Amino acid sequence: MAIIRVDRVDKSFPTRHGTISIMQDISFQVKDADFLAIVGPSGCGKSTLLRLIQGLDHPTSGTITFRDQKVDGVAKGMAMVFQSFALFPWLTVSENVAFGLEALGWDPERIASQVERYINVTGLDGFEEAYPRELSGGMRQRVGLARALAVEPTVLLMDEPFSALDALTAEGLREEVLQLWRDPQLPPEAVVLVTHNIEEAIQLADRVVVLSRRPGHILAEVPVDLPRPRDRKSGPFYELTDRVFSLITEGGAVASPLGSGTPPAG
Amino acid sequence: MLGLLVLLNDHKGSEDVARLADDLDLEIDEIFPALEYAELLQFVKVTDGRATFTDLGKKLVAASIRERKTIVREQLKKTPLFRTIVRALEASPEHRLTDEEFGHIVAFTTARTDGGEQNIVNWGRYADLFRYDSDEHVICPARRSSYQKGGSRGSPPTPGAPGEPAPAARTKPTPPETAQGPGTVSAVA
Repeated sequence: MAIIRVDRVDKSFPTRHGTISIMQDISFQVKDADFLAIVGPSGCGKSTLLRLIQGLDHPTSGTITFRDQKVDGVAKGMAMVFQSFALFPWLTVSENVAFGLEALGWDPERIASQVERYINVTGLDGFEEAYPRELSGGMRQRVGLARALAVEPTVLLMDEPFSALDALTAEGLREEVLQLWRDPQLPPEAVVLVTHNIEEAIQLADRVVVLSRRPGHILAEVPVDLPRPRDRKSGPFYELTDRVFSLITEGGAVASPLGSGTPPAG
Repeated sequence: MLGLLVLLNDHKGSEDVARLADDLDLEIDEIFPALEYAELLQFVKVTDGRATFTDLGKKLVAASIRERKTIVREQLKKTPLFRTIVRALEASPEHRLTDEEFGHIVAFTTARTDGGEQNIVNWGRYADLFRYDSDEHVICPARRSSYQKGGSRGSPPTPGAPGEPAPAARTKPTPPETAQGPGTVSAVA
């Protein structure tokens, strides 16, 4: 059954030079136990789409529902992991993880045990009192992950979570995210990953939604039926990668090569 | 380092280092430190430019995020550097090492590198061998987690181990020395 339904969503922003359309006619669903990736060239509205899903912004037209409720304002049951980690530098690892729970008004004891649990599952125990500046990029993103998971979201939204990490660290962390997602006793039920890295999308996801250049529209929804762990050098993996690349390069060259005036929003 | 092991696992546990590097477009500086750590901690063997998992390396990649820490801790304890740090921590009257004392140990035991001490602190933290209090600028004994309840949710099912769904088997792996509770780092050395 569908957890999230995105139905004919358009988004445009008014600018000084008129209205700019970011995405048009976007429809897809996120189902139970889904690992969905959204890929597309920069400026296609991927990140904006994630913000719309979480309710941080409203679509210009169309609807988004989460568990059959229309998303209107920040939806509970979803949490976001950011490319830039977005940690509070003056708070320790524990305090960063506790932040969302405090905002939910939990009592301190319950927060403490929840924080401890998610620090443990993300491999951060030992770093509880460290400040973000003391941590490597991989460890920082673990804090971002622990903070998002601590609110026990049904859906974990990830906006380019591995893009700011070096290649080896990213590889290690991807595998850990898969471990967490696969564990039936841990949140989240579903993951929506936004990335411009096509190989990453195919390595991780069950389905890949391919967006065109701005204004973004869906070029295809590509199922990935390869067994995990996936071998990037295998023939079928390459065929899928090639297919997504072709879709993007051939599809929807609507925007001019020099862009249409305003820097991309997503 | 873990990323390298995951990568090697994707290559069925044995691969030319050149091919591993090519897979992620890694520069020498990106792959060699990770490879050295992995070899030092006995997770891989490198011969003729080819990296191969040891049994322990295979065990590590198959383990859950939390079981990995225990494995890394056991291996770190075998290295002169971490053994020395833990012993010094045990020997100091208040079980604390200042930045300066820590620096001396590191300088005596290893060749100095840029950012090396922060790196060592982070390994120690990761493996729960010791803590670092950056407000007080001291190393202190690891505070072993008293938290056990959530342990049953801590470990994802390990592929190939269908026979151990019992909660007890999935709590945080507890090495013998941790059974004594906090402040038992002395027992580690």
